[in-house]
Amino acid sequence: MEALRRNSLGGIKELVDEFLILFANVLFAVSLFAVWGVLTLIGVIVDQNKGADFYWQNYTPALARIVLRLHLDNIYHSPAYIAIIGLILISMTVATFRRVIPARLPALRPVKIDKIPLHASIDVEGDESDIRARLERFFAERGWQIRKREFGGEEWSFIDKHNWARRGVLVAHVGFVIIAAGTTIYWATGYSGQFTVLSGAVGTIPQTGATVALQQFGYRIDPVATKSGIVYQPIDYVSHAIVTGKDGVARQAVIRVNQPYDVDGVKVYQATYGFGVTFALTKDGRPAAGPPDGPIKEGEAFDIPGTSRTIQYRSFVGTIDRRTGTAGLDPRPNDPGVLLQAFDGDHPLGNVLAPLGQPLDLGAGYALTPLKYTLYSGFQYRYDPGIPLVLVGSIVLLLGLCISFYFLPARLYVVLNGAGRAWNVGIAATTVKGYDIFEDRFREIVETLRRTPSIS
Amino acid sequence: MLDPLKVAIDHDLVVVTLATYVVGTLVLIGFFLMRTEMLKRAGIVLSVSACALQFAELGTRWNMTGVWPLTNLYGSLSLFSGLGVLIFIAFASKYDLWLIGGGVLGLSAIAFGYATTWNEGYMPAVPALQSYWIKVHVPLVVSSYASFMVAFVVSCLYLLKAYSERRFSSGTAVVRANAAGAGTVSMKVATARTSMDANAARTETPQIAAAAESGDPFALWLAGLPSLARLDMLTYRIVAVGLPLLTVGIITGAMWANEAWGAYWSWDPKETAALVSWIVYAGFMHLHTRSAWRGERSAWVSIAGFATIMFCYLGVNIWISGLHSYKM
Repeated sequence: MEALRRNSLGGIKELVDEFLILFANVLFAVSLFAVWGVLTLIGVIVDQNKGADFYWQNYTPALARIVLRLHLDNIYHSPAYIAIIGLILISMTVATFRRVIPARLPALRPVKIDKIPLHASIDVEGDESDIRARLERFFAERGWQIRKREFGGEEWSFIDKHNWARRGVLVAHVGFVIIAAGTTIYWATGYSGQFTVLSGAVGTIPQTGATVALQQFGYRIDPVATKSGIVYQPIDYVSHAIVTGKDGVARQAVIRVNQPYDVDGVKVYQATYGFGVTFALTKDGRPAAGPPDGPIKEGEAFDIPGTSRTIQYRSFVGTIDRRTGTAGLDPRPNDPGVLLQAFDGDHPLGNVLAPLGQPLDLGAGYALTPLKYTLYSGFQYRYDPGIPLVLVGSIVLLLGLCISFYFLPARLYVVLNGAGRAWNVGIAATTVKGYDIFEDRFREIVETLRRTPSIS
Repeated sequence: MLDPLKVAIDHDLVVVTLATYVVGTLVLIGFFLMRTEMLKRAGIVLSVSACALQFAELGTRWNMTGVWPLTNLYGSLSLFSGLGVLIFIAFASKYDLWLIGGGVLGLSAIAFGYATTWNEGYMPAVPALQSYWIKVHVPLVVSSYASFMVAFVVSCLYLLKAYSERRFSSGTAVVRANAAGAGTVSMKVATARTSMDANAARTETPQIAAAAESGDPFALWLAGLPSLARLDMLTYRIVAVGLPLLTVGIITGAMWANEAWGAYWSWDPKETAALVSWIVYAGFMHLHTRSAWRGERSAWVSIAGFATIMFCYLGVNIWISGLHSYKM
């Protein structure tokens, strides 16, 4: 029984060891990165968060099936995507504790100078102690840290620079974890949403009860002459509103793109705008029920009473080209109209462009008149308490990258051979990033040493 | 109303800049092939001129319209071309890397030539781009793209030399015999005793060295290229400039998005494609810590990274609609 327990414990330990070895392996981490990259790229190429109909209509049937079956339509929130990020975090944590933190200063041991690819020897004349003192001064003046040890009566100098930069990777990993923590805070406690408000109406942020009363929405679109012709370029979108937060105090707010308004820690953004249109329906010249009393927004629809027909307000047309009777290029409401689509049940019957103020004959005695338009503003709101942490994490990550890339921990091994006044300085160099990267610097050090009169 | 004189100057600057890129490319390709000092000097002058002209053109445009010139694809590609050459000049000056100039200026010429096809004139910025962040985020991101472009050219040069070495190793018996004579020296660098680079080149590419000794003109030409170790190290150093720039670019982009779109990360195709590039280059830096992955494999990862950069930069802008669709 005891043997069985020992065996199973040994098996678990072996399994844990194998897990740790695998997850601390750089190639495994890079493989996870590769999978993460591929999944992310799929999300760039495949349209995200569209309804199933969209894929059936726009993709080949085989591709649409693959997208929907494999949940590639919402890949960034799919279990596979979250799992891969989880695996990367685990790999990073294991690597941090098994490889990065234990990667301390290499032991102070003598080496075979000429077996190290970066090595040199310099002949020096003088007294041994004097040469040692001069060498020490040379490196100390250049910011190198010197340690001396004696091995079998031979004194070795171990000269290090940027040893602290060995922690660069650790700093970068910590930054990554802080970012992950910041995003988790949003998932746990943050929220966001959208609402639209017609001019003169009030919108509410449901989570806090804060209200946004839109006084006026304004826009500026300028015609600009380009090489391809006139382009109508948006210049400004602005909502003038009265915002009331938890304290009940109404405050005047100007909300623009790039200039969100903060109410109770929730940021309110200018997101979209549109034209609400008020319709009047008549039957045989008399007002009939059907469209709502107030304006409806693009995409909304109403039924024609007593029929199976529905009218959808698809889009607002700022300027109707009177010559062709089609929508003009100018989006500003000069000679406006609305694009309507009629349905019989679910079956679309067709589109029609109806000028504002003119009745449209629907048949069976019905006439529909788009009376007037009212501008509305679309707002987005977001409460994200994780943002400061994400920012701190990003800065820490960047700091770690800069430490890792721009500060190279290097060690020089220096030993003196000779007798009397004829000595030979043997010098070799190692770094955490191989030899090639330090080649120029090492050559420079050796050449400076050779040129320095007090040394050579 | 725009000043017609400035419009004319801007137009002329576009033409002269493009011409300078093209002539500079030809001269530096000439230097790459012939290695004459005169071509090198002319190439340096043309590189500096092209870079200066590119920035002068962007400056003129800004001065004339009062609109930051990087609000469209034309502006950002212009900056990409100019910064690519600037980063090349910086590295070439420090590491005597003028040999890659033909590649860098050639790509800059293509980028700027393509940019002119998107030049629709002078337009005000759309509301989303009316932010101080555009003066921070766009130059940072574009400078990272430009760094990766230079790294890409160095990686291509690495592969040219590495694959040529293979070609010579499967070459004629004479070459093989000479290569055997050259020996396989295990010690890579004997600093301060011999020329390190020449020694490194001999040990890394013995077949090329042997063929060069036997008078093969292509091998002689290849032997004059920087050693493989040096090219690999240079690719690393250039990516080490580009990756922090891309990181800061993504961070500043997130900060801007947080002000403009209501979320610092919206999984917009552009930011997601930038993340893909970041992942590839982060993978490059991780792999470079392993000696087995330095060299040829690293060069291929650098090339793959640049392919993702091009997809992120042009592919997403042109073919995929999203929050970053600022072509004109």
